[in-house]
Amino acid sequence: MTTHPGAGPVVHDPTTLPVDDNVNAYTFCVELRGSEWFLQKGKMIAYYGSMDFNGIGHGRLDRLVRTSFHSPLHASDWVVASGTGRMLLADRAFDVNSYDLDKGNLTIRSGNLLAFQPTLALKQSIVPGFLTLIGTGTFVAASNGPVVFMEPPIRVDPQALVGWADCPSPCHHYDHGYMTGVMGGLRALTGLGGASGEEHQFEFVGAGTVLLQSSEALMAEQPAGTVPHQPGVPGGGGAPGHGPGQGGTPRLPGQLGDLQRRFGL
Amino acid sequence: MPFREVNSKMIEATVLPGARLFSQRGAMLAYKGEVSFTPNMQGGQGGLMSMIGRRVADEATPLMTVEGSGTVLFGHGGHHIQVINLTGDTLYVEADRLLAFDGTLEQGTMFMGSQGGVMGMVRGQVTGQGLFTTTLKGHGAVAVMAHGGVVEIPITPQRPVHVDPQAYVAHHGDVRNKLSAALGLRDLVGRGSGEAFQLELSGHGAVYVQASEEKL
Repeated sequence: MTTHPGAGPVVHDPTTLPVDDNVNAYTFCVELRGSEWFLQKGKMIAYYGSMDFNGIGHGRLDRLVRTSFHSPLHASDWVVASGTGRMLLADRAFDVNSYDLDKGNLTIRSGNLLAFQPTLALKQSIVPGFLTLIGTGTFVAASNGPVVFMEPPIRVDPQALVGWADCPSPCHHYDHGYMTGVMGGLRALTGLGGASGEEHQFEFVGAGTVLLQSSEALMAEQPAGTVPHQPGVPGGGGAPGHGPGQGGTPRLPGQLGDLQRRFGL
Repeated sequence: MPFREVNSKMIEATVLPGARLFSQRGAMLAYKGEVSFTPNMQGGQGGLMSMIGRRVADEATPLMTVEGSGTVLFGHGGHHIQVINLTGDTLYVEADRLLAFDGTLEQGTMFMGSQGGVMGMVRGQVTGQGLFTTTLKGHGAVAVMAHGGVVEIPITPQRPVHVDPQAYVAHHGDVRNKLSAALGLRDLVGRGSGEAFQLELSGHGAVYVQASEEKL
């Protein structure tokens, strides 16, 4: 779908709209032929044809929800589009892209996922705030700036991470080389010189693909559901005395975060 | 050529041992290899005096030194990025627009009044540059941020370029700039065209203009 310079805007009608493809960088068109799609509430901007948008929890859709959602608490943020026609998806002028999974798995930040085919199963990731899609099918995701695919090993700024596919879950990595030595000690004690803001990364190793967005501006997080409060469930808070990290105060930019704690500041 | 444009909002920098880069703090998106990011107390190059100079001039943007060996991806705030390769001439740019630049470039600050006296200072106020601006000189690459896409407009002695001060990003080369005011009676009664001030650049070089009138 290229725009020809000088030819004016491209005018679409129901027959020229692309099928399951981008209309432009910010809009995606999905064709429904009696099939169904899940979309996040409020991401549909226009549609042709006859479609129904039903909130999840509708009796008729119970079976669908049962097979595609494994997190009942979170299902209320989604609607099911069914019928025939073409609909346009967009999200606040962020870049939109579709991704095909073939018997694969992909974990994505909850706020970035716009829509997915019911052939995919949506599950909560062990990493809080992330969702995992498993199976075969297409999903649509938004990102701030175009998405860049990288191969591990790589270390990623937490705010630039969109998701990852096929590789093991990331671990935290701390860079604080400049905090050692005499000058580093002075810096840590006095706070002079500030922090580089890059002490904390997510580290990916192994085979797979890491998805990055081109900016550190995050998209609004969607509730990804809560996990049962059980011992052994990360984020569940079940096991007492389970170390710091979860549920602390939000980290401010420029603050050293866990490093600060490590140095006793 | 240490910077490669990945897309319009992201660049990839290659860091080699012995060479260093400066970048805005917190602008790293991801990296491969062994790379260290050290906050830079001086806000750039030079010794204590340059640091004080920058502090006074309010051009002391928090920078960090990037060293090691590997590749680093930079991007910030969803802004568009323009890579400018300097070959011995001087780039004039606001410090907060700098995303990353080669450590080989010589960094300095310039008093706006030194180009055109009082009118230079007025020009600084109108373009949002303030009284001082940052200069980068030498051979190397600079990544500059802008709101919206960036257009490079060449300046030749025969063809001076007029730029909306709010859309001005940076310029390099042997360029004289002056503020041309087209204030008239209409502006006084609030019926102006909204384009009363323009930056006129003449000489030899290039000016970078963003496709938006929004400041960073």
